[in-house]
Amino acid sequence: MAKFLEYQGKEWLAKAGIPVPKGRSASSPEEAQQAAEWIGKSVAVKGQVQAGGRGKAGIVKLVETSSEASAAAAEILVKTVKGLPVRQVLIEEKLAIKKEYYCSFVINNARDARCPMLMFSSEGGMDIESVPEELIFKMNIDPIFGLQIYDAIDFCVRAGIPNKELSKFASFLTKLSQVYKKYDCQTLEINPFVMTEDGSLICADCKMEIDNSSVGRHPEFGIKIARDLPGEVTELDMIGWSIEETDARGTGFLMNMGYDEVSPGYIGYHPIGGGSAMMGLDALNQVGLKPANYADTSGNPVGSKIYRVAKSVLSQPNIDGYLLGGFMMANQEQWHHANAIVKVLWEELPKKPGLPCVLLLCGNREDESMEILRKGLAELMTSDGIGKRIEIYGKEHVTDTKFIGQRLLALAKEYRAEKDAQGK
Amino acid sequence: MLEIKEKSITISIDTNKCDTCETKACAAACKKYARGLLQIVDGKPSVEHLSAEEVLRLGTECLACEIACKFEGNKALTINIPIAGLDVYLTKRGLQ
Repeated sequence: MAKFLEYQGKEWLAKAGIPVPKGRSASSPEEAQQAAEWIGKSVAVKGQVQAGGRGKAGIVKLVETSSEASAAAAEILVKTVKGLPVRQVLIEEKLAIKKEYYCSFVINNARDARCPMLMFSSEGGMDIESVPEELIFKMNIDPIFGLQIYDAIDFCVRAGIPNKELSKFASFLTKLSQVYKKYDCQTLEINPFVMTEDGSLICADCKMEIDNSSVGRHPEFGIKIARDLPGEVTELDMIGWSIEETDARGTGFLMNMGYDEVSPGYIGYHPIGGGSAMMGLDALNQVGLKPANYADTSGNPVGSKIYRVAKSVLSQPNIDGYLLGGFMMANQEQWHHANAIVKVLWEELPKKPGLPCVLLLCGNREDESMEILRKGLAELMTSDGIGKRIEIYGKEHVTDTKFIGQRLLALAKEYRAEKDAQGK
Repeated sequence: MLEIKEKSITISIDTNKCDTCETKACAAACKKYARGLLQIVDGKPSVEHLSAEEVLRLGTECLACEIACKFEGNKALTINIPIAGLDVYLTKRGLQ
């Protein structure tokens, strides 16, 4: 899913006519001070990262003056939460809160539902997981007609909203459901939305996630990559996205796994399929090697797409090896992988002579694929050749993560020692 | 030189080398691994029996012709597969 930070989600809510606190984002203490001066009253300074539990992590602070806002921003902007650096803060007016509520719109994947679902609780402002089940009210929403005001009123009655507030709450939830549909959201969670002392309902937080498949319909979002990424978009992520973006012929997924490009022990990682990817990670974890990247070439991709992924994986600097992890038996024609890998290794190994390459390929057309690999790489795989650490395995090791990991480790140690001896 | 453009790749064939090629492995590979786009006409690979549109539609970018030509033929065929952003990535790291 394409995920928005809180301030981005609130901007889209505001554009759709949903009440949000007055505020704006800041990337420095100076900008934070200016924003607080613009608001002209007590403010909340909220660190912006894609992670829950921000209050507990100490990146949400309430302050009275603009100089305090500046100081709070300076404190928050150097923090890292769950591995994610805080790059921005949201400065927004402090609300006079009378009561906090929770609501979210998500997809109900249940077989008898397959539609959006509204969840609501008058116990907002805390982890929804800690709220007793009987205090969370749920309602499926007709995907064609959406949430109608009369359904919303019925729902609010069931949820215990007092009669005099029914219209206000029903209208608020109905508008949010329209936003959910308009922006093709997968999740729209407002926790909390608050009733202020003057009786207004305002979104005090916003978690908005957009369906990846809909991003093409929303150029206004300016989303570079419609993918779940663990952190900020890297150059490798952009390269990976360019491989996928306009080519639907099978999967050619590639993304950075946050390696530092300097430390030893990272492996260019090229699994084939999701199950295979997990087994490949097992293989690496068991021997203390780390994946520099995640990749996946499955769903019978064309050779050119496999080539692009493999070439990008192998282009990563300072890797200690390359693992083509075809664990599990694939239904796709594996000879496309074989052709692509042969081409890539012929091009890349002259730049990284002796790089360990453990190639595990099993499944449909395995015999032909093995023949392509063995024949295509034979000249490189001589004892003093640039491919002297290429090892090719087939179905005999299809689930043997321990063996594959150990072979890769042994070769990587040898390679590292050779590089150290050469002073590289 | 014969240039064949598929959806995202360009196949270049130095057809002068094909006269002395005994295997014509490229066409055999194209038939085995893909849709047989490459045919041998007067001893050289050709796609003249197809329109440019048909080449685009039928081309599967399997790369088999290049591998076959390299190891069984006369090393006459190369495929260029551009990767957006990779040159910049490598240049920044002094690896280009």
